[in-house]
Amino acid sequence: MTADTIAARRARPLRRLPFGTRVLFTPVAIAVVLVALYAWVSTLELDSIEQRSLNRAVIVAKTIEHLEMTLAATALVVVIAIPLGVAASRATNRLIAPVILTVGNLGQAVPCIGLLVLCTFLMGVGFQTALVGLVAYAVLPVLRNTMVGVQQVDPALIEAARGMGMTRGQILRRVELKLAVPAILAGLRTALVLTVGVATLGAFVAAGGFGELIINGLKLNRMPVTIVGGVLTACIAFFIDWLGGLAEDLLKPRGM
Amino acid sequence: MFDRDTEGVRIELRSLTKRYPGQTAPAVDNVSMDIPAGELVVFVGPSGCGKTTTMKMINRLVEPTSGEIRIGGRDVLSLNPDELRRHIGYAIQQVGLFPHLTVAQNIGLVPKLLGWSQEKIAARVEELLTLVHLEPGAFTDRYPRQLSGGQQQRVGVARALAADPPVMLMDEPFGATDPITREHLQNEFVRLQKQLRKTIIFVTHDFEEAIKLGDRIAVLREGSHIAQYDTPAAILSDPADDYVAGFIGQDATLKRLALLQVADVPVTEPLPDPVLPQVAPDASLREALDLMLAHGTDRCSTPSGVLTYATLCEAVGNRPDGTRPEEAVAGDR
Repeated sequence: MTADTIAARRARPLRRLPFGTRVLFTPVAIAVVLVALYAWVSTLELDSIEQRSLNRAVIVAKTIEHLEMTLAATALVVVIAIPLGVAASRATNRLIAPVILTVGNLGQAVPCIGLLVLCTFLMGVGFQTALVGLVAYAVLPVLRNTMVGVQQVDPALIEAARGMGMTRGQILRRVELKLAVPAILAGLRTALVLTVGVATLGAFVAAGGFGELIINGLKLNRMPVTIVGGVLTACIAFFIDWLGGLAEDLLKPRGM
Repeated sequence: MFDRDTEGVRIELRSLTKRYPGQTAPAVDNVSMDIPAGELVVFVGPSGCGKTTTMKMINRLVEPTSGEIRIGGRDVLSLNPDELRRHIGYAIQQVGLFPHLTVAQNIGLVPKLLGWSQEKIAARVEELLTLVHLEPGAFTDRYPRQLSGGQQQRVGVARALAADPPVMLMDEPFGATDPITREHLQNEFVRLQKQLRKTIIFVTHDFEEAIKLGDRIAVLREGSHIAQYDTPAAILSDPADDYVAGFIGQDATLKRLALLQVADVPVTEPLPDPVLPQVAPDASLREALDLMLAHGTDRCSTPSGVLTYATLCEAVGNRPDGTRPEEAVAGDR
């Protein structure tokens, strides 16, 4: 059986280690940018207004607020968007699917700032209000990727699974969702990065975050404050994207 | 589930009909047939004749519109469909191995659904891999994409056999492989079936494959109507009508010769003749004829004597002078 032995020799390793030199590029670049930012700010003579924003306590607090908003919103997105995506992918829900997608599209199409203002009338200002806006904005990528990920599973696999006597629920959990993991993770990564950016708007509803630095800097005409807020936001976005990439490598099912 | 698991059980179809909404003609129209226990029955027919639909109704992947199906005497339509399918082996052309599961996990899936213990599943996987000629040590932990097409088909067959079901449904399981691999898999499958004696329904549009594998062949036409349902030898020697004859093609007699082995027919002289071309006892009569033609002779030697052209003619029911003897000896397997 020569064909078999050839195939055996050709067998490729299934997972490349995610810890090559290429993977380290992003964190190193982020570190360089942060050091450069710190060095630049150190050379400036900060006035009292700038000092009130650019000190360790404020930066740490804003970082925590920003991350809290991002992570809480993403967690809610997971809970909302994945089940909706699965529901939209079912053939029996052919009539509901466009409705679900339209709502998801609306969430992203409506300007987030407008939505936040509207929510303020209903809920007042604060963390929860910011969450509503962020979730509405980030639901679409996860929803659509879940839907597409589940739908693109080879129908022959579903037929084989049914023919073997797996129940609908078992097919969904053990086959469809498993095979959709790469697509869902990609959607989640997109959603996270979007959320980091949009979370700056949280400052408009008094939810804190780097948006506060940016807006204060603009309002008070203090360029360094705005720049620090902007650069830190970008760094966090890149860092989270990098983490997302690692997670995709580690969590995607082996054999794919 | 079907009383005596593992060995084949009888399948009965009674006035089975499938009508899809919005279509005037039923896809499967009032089919009745008996599939004897332990036999391999091939459904053969052109694309769209309803052969696959008929097969899929047996494990209820397609729900019949009306009619009755009994497996080992039990009414299939009264059982839970998922539970039923766990006791019927199922292999398809696309194989459908799960890419995120190893070979062992793929094969062990149905046993796991049936609640077997880990050790029992592991032992079964090893046994099945050996059965389909894949080295267990090398293959259990591989993923499907690390296998060649032929290896995937074998794992597919092993997976269908996993819970030792009495009944197997196979939908062109070797259809997507190259001719050499297909021939190889078919030979192995014939050997396997001799050993296992499952009741197997095998769907194909390849008549050669049907002759090679089937204990019986059901030639189906539009609406899954049975044109002829008989042994390969009987269909070849006595096709029911022009439709069946058309399916067989022009070389029906050669195909019949291919069904018979040298050892099945009498030799004319009791001693082998070293001067004549030699033919093995397990070669088919078709190969013996090929040998005679190639050497320009009408005799060849087997280990137990001499085989003549006249014997070949008699084997397919003719005399070399063109007349027919009274009782035709149709090759029966």
